Amino acid sequence: METFLFVLFALSACGGALAVVLTQNVVRMAFWLVISLGSVAGLFFSLDADFVGAVQLLIYVGGTVVLLIFGVMLTSKEPFTAIKQNPAEIVQGAVVGLAFLAMVLATVYAVDWQSHQAVVVGHEHDGLPSGYNRPIEGNTARSIGTALLGVRFDRDLGKGGEHASGEHGHAHRDHDVSTGYLLPFEVVSVHLLVVLVGAAYLARAKRRRPVSAA
Amino acid sequence: MSPEIYSEVGSLLKWLLTAAWLLPLLGFLVEIFGGYWADRKSKVPAYLAVGCIATGFLLSLIALGTWVDAADMNLWAFESAGHSAEHGEGAEHGDDHEHATVAEHDHADAHDEEHHEHASADEHHGNDPLKTAFSGTFYRLGKFGRLDVTLDWYIDGLTVAMFAMVTLIASCIHIFAIGYMSDELTEHYEDHFVHLPGGRHFHRPGRFYRFFAYLSLFCFSMLGLVLAGNIFQVFIFWELVGVCSYLLIGFYVERHSASTAANKAFIMNRVGDFGFLIGLMVIWTWFGVFQFANTDPAHADQAGLFQMVRTHDGTLVTEGEGMEKTVSLQHIEGEARPSSIPYWLLTVAGLGIFAGCIGKSAQFPLQTWLPDAMEGPTPVSALVHSATMVAAGVYLAARFYPMFTPEVLLVIAYVGCITLFIGATIALVVTDIKRVLAYSTISQLGYMMLALGVGGWIAGLFHLITHAFFKSLMFLCSGSVIHGCHHEQEMTKMGGLYKKMPITCWTMFVGVVAICGLAIPFVTLPAIGAVAFSGFHSKDAIIASALTFSSLNPVHSLLFYVPLITAGITAFYMFRMWFMTFFGKPKDHHVYDHAHESPTVMTAPLLILSFFAIFVAVGGEAGPLVTLYGAAEPAHVAMGATDAGNIGLNLPSHEQIHNFHAQAGMAALLVAFAGTLLAYLFYASGAVDPGTVKRQFESVHEFLVDKWRFDVLYDWMWQRPVHVVASWCTAFDKYVLDGLIHGSASSVVKIAQWDRKFDEAVVDRSVNVLGEVTMSVANWFRGLQTGQLRQYVMLIAVSVVSLFVLVFIFFPGQ
Amino acid sequence: MNAYLAVAAVLFVCGVMCMATKRNGIGVLMGVELVLNGANINFVAFSKYGLLGLDGQIFSLFVIVLAAAEAAVALAIALNFYNNHLTIDVDQASELKN
Repeated sequence: METFLFVLFALSACGGALAVVLTQNVVRMAFWLVISLGSVAGLFFSLDADFVGAVQLLIYVGGTVVLLIFGVMLTSKEPFTAIKQNPAEIVQGAVVGLAFLAMVLATVYAVDWQSHQAVVVGHEHDGLPSGYNRPIEGNTARSIGTALLGVRFDRDLGKGGEHASGEHGHAHRDHDVSTGYLLPFEVVSVHLLVVLVGAAYLARAKRRRPVSAA
Repeated sequence: MSPEIYSEVGSLLKWLLTAAWLLPLLGFLVEIFGGYWADRKSKVPAYLAVGCIATGFLLSLIALGTWVDAADMNLWAFESAGHSAEHGEGAEHGDDHEHATVAEHDHADAHDEEHHEHASADEHHGNDPLKTAFSGTFYRLGKFGRLDVTLDWYIDGLTVAMFAMVTLIASCIHIFAIGYMSDELTEHYEDHFVHLPGGRHFHRPGRFYRFFAYLSLFCFSMLGLVLAGNIFQVFIFWELVGVCSYLLIGFYVERHSASTAANKAFIMNRVGDFGFLIGLMVIWTWFGVFQFANTDPAHADQAGLFQMVRTHDGTLVTEGEGMEKTVSLQHIEGEARPSSIPYWLLTVAGLGIFAGCIGKSAQFPLQTWLPDAMEGPTPVSALVHSATMVAAGVYLAARFYPMFTPEVLLVIAYVGCITLFIGATIALVVTDIKRVLAYSTISQLGYMMLALGVGGWIAGLFHLITHAFFKSLMFLCSGSVIHGCHHEQEMTKMGGLYKKMPITCWTMFVGVVAICGLAIPFVTLPAIGAVAFSGFHSKDAIIASALTFSSLNPVHSLLFYVPLITAGITAFYMFRMWFMTFFGKPKDHHVYDHAHESPTVMTAPLLILSFFAIFVAVGGEAGPLVTLYGAAEPAHVAMGATDAGNIGLNLPSHEQIHNFHAQAGMAALLVAFAGTLLAYLFYASGAVDPGTVKRQFESVHEFLVDKWRFDVLYDWMWQRPVHVVASWCTAFDKYVLDGLIHGSASSVVKIAQWDRKFDEAVVDRSVNVLGEVTMSVANWFRGLQTGQLRQYVMLIAVSVVSLFVLVFIFFPGQ
Repeated sequence: MNAYLAVAAVLFVCGVMCMATKRNGIGVLMGVELVLNGANINFVAFSKYGLLGLDGQIFSLFVIVLAAAEAAVALAIALNFYNNHLTIDVDQASELKN
């Protein structure tokens, strides 16, 4: 069942993407894009990343693609407009694309991901749990991410090895447990939203000029 | 003299004379700077200058007294022994001798045979002038190798006598100049001798203060020259004196004649100074010292020039013959310097130094500048160009006497002889009152040189001092006349002035009588000797020396006859001047009507000087004056010399001169009276018409008026050739040097053009190619920047793929 | 896992080709979305099969949010471009040249 679903979603994602590339009509491209992105959401679900899959459906399929379609509608003089490329470009694109694909696939299949796991993520050493490097060696993403959510593993883990798992219930254990950056993260999120709204507004506001000029 | 007394008296003398020497410098500084800023109508500069020089005179007098006291000398003992000073530490000195001894000689000559023997006996045990001289060093300027360049002082009888003489005459002339230069006391001086275009005269601010500043500077220089203790220092002040002379001759610098005369004097002196420099070089090279003599017992080991050349009794120690002859140097033990000097080189050094004296004392052949120097104000002529500066040459010749070989002395004698004759003959025909005196000065300087040359050291300096007094007197008289006649100098426009200016007339008479050497024959007063003015004594001494010399060396008998005849000529032209100026009928009524006696400030110096012109030589060669500076006479002079030098010259001794004294004196007196009588006949009584004589000797007269055509001769000898050579040089410059330079310039331009081509073709080209290549590469890259978004993306993809491929190609194993 | 990576690679390459070939601006944007999705698949795949853990998912979330914002801003730009040029052809958008 899982294999079947994976094959289904994988095929529809790849097919959708190919269709996006090959289709000349923008509206149809958008449709194939929805197919492809929806399939990717399916792939996420099959990878046990249900939240990401849900977000994918909500934001991409529900938000971004709609935005793109709005864009198509706002910029098209007539429905189903297509801007043609010349055949040479298509051939060129096909050759390069295939070479690129071959390269990436070769890389994917050439690497033994299992044995390189430690190399990719980090060694287990010096009392740090696996996956945690010393700050000087980089690999700060996890620390930053958790810090944004209000938990400072990088600090709390050094205190006598207590509760190295960093569970949230112990966050208020003592005042020497650092607080994270949750509030700033939220503020930045809201700020980002405001920026988006502002950008959209600006785009709308500037639309009037050519109209009045015309 | 014991070292204690020596150092005590020496330092006292040194400070007295140094103060007298430096005071005028102080005056000069104050006057030249103060005068410039202060009121031009103020007489303060003059008072200042007079004060300085008069104080100097007083100090000199004190120094003179000190020196006389220290030198164990009784100046007034001449009645008993003419050369008492030469006894050195003789026992017969003392004030009780003063005026006490009765002269037992009734001859016209003040001396008898017995006396001569006495004197000559003294002479033979030697008169070492260094025993009564003081020397020392003010300041060492620097030591170059073994040569010490120092500021020294050297004080002996001659120095103190010169100091007293110079300061006294300078004081009188300063006072006189207050009156004479009073028309400069204005903001707008109108110079009637400078004619501007448009018939106007030149106007300028008065330069009263500057005149006195120059006079002070001159006094400083002259006194420094006399005080100087080494020949190099003498040279320094020698030049300073020359500069002062230049400034004063050119005082009326706007007058073309004045500035030309100043240049002429300066350049003529340079000719002589060239010889001086040669002498200095020889001295430096062979002796390594410049000091005259070192008489300080504390530093007895350092010998001066005189001590090196002469032994204690004043003889030259020579070796070899002819050109190989050398003079051994004395007192040089343990020093790394030549032990002897070639005889001919010593002669060259002496001639070189004497060349300087020729220039400074206006001797033949450099005598032509002195008459032109009369362009300066008359006090200047009196002080600088008759009494002191021109005498500096004679002074130096006398001071340097020990260094002169007999050959040099002969040259000096002949130069003096020629000069005195030329000067006197030209003076016969000159009508400008100042120029008569100028030529007379040349002539008298010639006498002094002659005296030095024939071995009459005392006679020459005697005449130097007496001449200084009566010549400055006469110059001041002429200044008084010129002032009274409103700057009229031509005697042909004067006449009969004795009524208008009696003081000037009779003081002038004193001077004229003095210079002519007139005396009352066959009368000898007790205690004084011959009744005569100063000039008689000194000229008498010179003629006696010359006569003795020529009798010892019959080949050179001209050296006696020429001065003798010239003595007559001197009398003639001096009385001619006096008669023409003060007697006869007034020739120009305009001048006569406006003539007036000068104010007291001008006549008082005349009276003072006439007093000295009469009495300075009292006692003759046994008098106090000769006794005073006679102590400085070089040791070898008194004895004379036989068969001296390479030319077999016989120099007279004092004794021999004494023997001829009476004879020479009579001859000179006779000739002088003859000259006076002639002048009286020509110009006073009118018995002979000068015009007729003039016409009779037309060519001779013209020749004399043309000053023996020396200026023409020099023009032909020097100026024309210089012009010709200069034109050659110009041509050489123009065609050869300029051609060379132009050629090199054009070749440089050629090379520069090639270089430019090379630059453009190679250097610039390479740089440009680099730039162009960069440009084209950049342009090609610019083509990549199409702005095509899709191309960029495609390029990214292609690049990634090709990077991948490249990595796999080059690192296949990893 | 390799299969997921392969699918991601196909998506990525399709996105790149989409960007490279489409003359339509909106098409280019779609290509960008595809590229980002390919990357997301990789993150999530490594999150499951590798040691990346939750970090991978958080990163993919960030990418999604970023893509949304980027899409909004890019659309605003595209609209402006269209207003000025009356076309959406990116080949015309070469004003920075010269």
